[in-house]
Amino acid sequence: MNNNKLTVSHAPFWHDGDSLFQMNLNIILALLPATIFGIIQFGAVALGVVALSISTAMLWELVMNLISKKPLTIGDLDSAVIGMIFGIMLPATAPWWLVVVGTFVAVIIGKMIFGGIGSNPFNPALIGMAFLMLSWKMMFDFDAAYLNYEFGFTALAPLAALKFQGASEIAGLFPLGDLIMGKQIGAIGSTFGLGIILGGIYLILKGYIRWEISVSFIAGIVVTALCFNMANPETYGGPIIHLFTGYTLLGAFFLATENSSSPVNKIPMFIYGFSAGLMIILMRNIGIYADGTVLAILLLNLINPLVDSIRPKALGKGVNNA
Amino acid sequence: MIKRSFFSLNQPRLTYDLLEPDLKEPESIPVQGSLTLLLPETIDSNRQALIKKGDVVKKGERLKLYDGSTAYTVSPVAGTIKLLDTYSDDFGNTATFIIVKPDQTAGSDTVKLEPVEDIGFADEFLRNLPGAPPFEILANTDLKINTIVITCADTDLLSCTSQYVGIKYADEVKEGAQILKKLTNALKLCITIPESLDTQVSFDSIQVLKTSNVYPSTLPAMVMKDHLNLVLPAGQKPENVGVCFIRAEALVSLARAYKTKEAGFEKILTIVGKNDTSHLVKATIGTPLSKILSKLSIHLNDQDRIIIGGPMRGFATYTPHHPITSDMDTVIVQDRDIIPQLSDYPCVNCGKCIQICPANVPVNMLVRYLEADQYEEAADRFDLESCIECGLCAYVCTAKIPLFQYIRLGKHELLTLRADV
Repeated sequence: MNNNKLTVSHAPFWHDGDSLFQMNLNIILALLPATIFGIIQFGAVALGVVALSISTAMLWELVMNLISKKPLTIGDLDSAVIGMIFGIMLPATAPWWLVVVGTFVAVIIGKMIFGGIGSNPFNPALIGMAFLMLSWKMMFDFDAAYLNYEFGFTALAPLAALKFQGASEIAGLFPLGDLIMGKQIGAIGSTFGLGIILGGIYLILKGYIRWEISVSFIAGIVVTALCFNMANPETYGGPIIHLFTGYTLLGAFFLATENSSSPVNKIPMFIYGFSAGLMIILMRNIGIYADGTVLAILLLNLINPLVDSIRPKALGKGVNNA
Repeated sequence: MIKRSFFSLNQPRLTYDLLEPDLKEPESIPVQGSLTLLLPETIDSNRQALIKKGDVVKKGERLKLYDGSTAYTVSPVAGTIKLLDTYSDDFGNTATFIIVKPDQTAGSDTVKLEPVEDIGFADEFLRNLPGAPPFEILANTDLKINTIVITCADTDLLSCTSQYVGIKYADEVKEGAQILKKLTNALKLCITIPESLDTQVSFDSIQVLKTSNVYPSTLPAMVMKDHLNLVLPAGQKPENVGVCFIRAEALVSLARAYKTKEAGFEKILTIVGKNDTSHLVKATIGTPLSKILSKLSIHLNDQDRIIIGGPMRGFATYTPHHPITSDMDTVIVQDRDIIPQLSDYPCVNCGKCIQICPANVPVNMLVRYLEADQYEEAADRFDLESCIECGLCAYVCTAKIPLFQYIRLGKHELLTLRADV
C-alpha cells in the first residue's frame, strides 16, 4: 500500500450534522407563516419593510466584517434572522430610513461590537427596537400607522386601547378568535397568533429553541395578568388579551429564546421565562408603555448571566471520600 | 454516522452496537512482512541501549531499552531488529517503535514462561498480552484496588470486540478471573454486559453488571456511578478510588498464558470499512494496519481518516502503517467525503451540550475559558476535571466547535501547569 496522506484530527469523529445555517434557516422558516400573513394583510409595503430589514441587516454585518477585516460571516444567516425578526416587529408603514437605522443599531451595536454571533449580551433585534421606540415614539403608534387602511374588524391597537380606556370599555371588541386569526392591527408579524404559535412549536420540536423558556414565559404572562385582572377587572385586561396581542407571542417563541442572551440550565430557564412574562405585564399595567415586551426582555437579558449560575453539581465535584 | 433526527426535542441517543448472535470466527490475518512494536519509553541518545539494529530476537523475548527501565515490549516473532526510532502521538508524548523482520534463521524456539501466582511476575512478563491487562496498576501497592471490573461491554460505539471475546471465550474469562483473584487482593469481581445482549452465558461468582444500551453508559465513570454507587471524584482516575477496569480479552490471554506457559500475540479487533461494513479479525500484535486493510480490500485514498479506538473517543493516526497494539479494539476507516467539518465559530450558547452532558459540566462557559487559556479558572469554576471524556458535547455542537479537543487540551495543560508549580 502506498503512503497516503491521511486526515488527522481529534475525537469525536462523528457529528450530528447540525449547523448554525440549519438552525437559522429553521428559525426563518418558522417565522414565515406569521410574516406571510402580515404581508397579505397589510399589502406590499409590509413586504418592502421585511425585505429591506433582512437585506440591510445582512449588509451591515458584511460592512462590519470588511471594516474589521474578519472572515465574512453573513453565510450563517444570523443577521438575516435578526433582520427578519426586526422587520416583522415594525408597523407596515414604517419609512425606509427607520428600517435602515434600526437594523444598523440591531446588528452593529446589538451584535457586532460585542464580538459577533454568540457574544451579544442582549437580543440584537430588541436593541434596535428599543432604540427606535425611544427615539421615534410616534412611529409605533399603530392606530396612526394604519389610518388609511380599511379593515373588516376593529381597527384599534388592542394594547393601547386597553391601556387608555380600561378593560371594561373594550370588553367584547376583541374576541379571542379574531386575535388568534390575525384580525387585529399591530406589527407586520405580530398579529397572526396561530402562525406564531405553529412556528414556535415547530422550533421546539426541532430542538432549536428551549421549550422551558417559552412555556414559563407564557405561564408568567397568564399568572400575572390573571392576578391583576382578579384584583381589578375594570382596569386590567385578562390573560387572553395580553397573550394574543402586541409582541407577547413573538416574545415567547422568538425574542426571549434568543440563544446567547438567554440561560441554558433548567431552573434558570424557568426563572428567566417566568420573570420576563411577569415584567411585561407589570410594564403594561403599571408602566407608561402600552407594550412593555421589548424593554422587559432586555431587562431580563441583563440578569441572564446571574441566574444561569444556578446549575446542577458536576459529577465528582466536592466528593472527597468516595 | 448517526445524524440528528428531524424532530429532536429529545436528546440524540447513540446506542452501542450489539454482537451478532452467530459468533462467526474472526478472519485470521497471517503475519506478512515486518512487525512494528511500540515501546512506551523515549530513546535517550546519551545512554547505551540494550537493543540495537541488527539484533536477533526470539519469539516471546522481552525487549527493553535500558538497564533498569520498567517499560518493555515483547516480540511476537523470531527475527531481526531492522529499525529503532522515536514515535510521537497526538499530544507530543514520545515512545519508541521497533521494527522486527521475521526471520526463520533466528530459530523457531519460543521463550517459555514459568508462571507463578504473583502480581510481580505478571507485571514483569505479561503487560503486553492481547487486551493490555493493567498489571502496572494492580501491582502498585499504593493504590489498594478492591474492585475489579471486567469489561465485556465495549466502551465506544461500533465495536463488538469485547462482547465477542467475553461471550465466545466465557470459560477462559472465568479461568482468568480466578487467576486474577489469586494474584491480587481484590474482594469484588464484576463484569459489564450490555443489557440487551441475548446470551445464556453465566459467570458463576462474578457479579454481572447489566449496562444500558445508550452511550456513554459503559464508560468507567458511568459504570461506577450507575452500578457501584461510587462517584468518581473530579480529576481522579478509577484506580485512585480502588477500582480497576480490565478487558475480558486480557483475562482470556492471562488464562492461556498460565495454561500454555507462553504469551499470546493474537489480538481480536473490529475493523469498520468505508460503507460501515464491520469485520472481526484476528491479527498478530505489531502488524501494520495497512496490511489488514488491504487484506480486507478496504482502499485508502488521500485525506481519508483512520480512527483507532472508536468514533467518540479514539484518535486518528497519521500513518496507515500504525501497528496493531495490545489495547486496540476498533479501527474505523472514514471516507474523506463524510468527515465532518469543524469551525472556528465561538459558542452561541444554544445549550445542547448542557442538555447532553452526562457529568453536568457547564460546557458553554467552560469553552470560553479554555479558548482564552484560562485553565486554572476553568478547573476551579467550571468543572473541567469532572469531564468523563465521552465526546458527546462536540458531537452535538451547533457551532461545530472542537469542544472535546479543547477539554482534553485543557486537562493536559492543567497537569503541566500543576507539575511546574
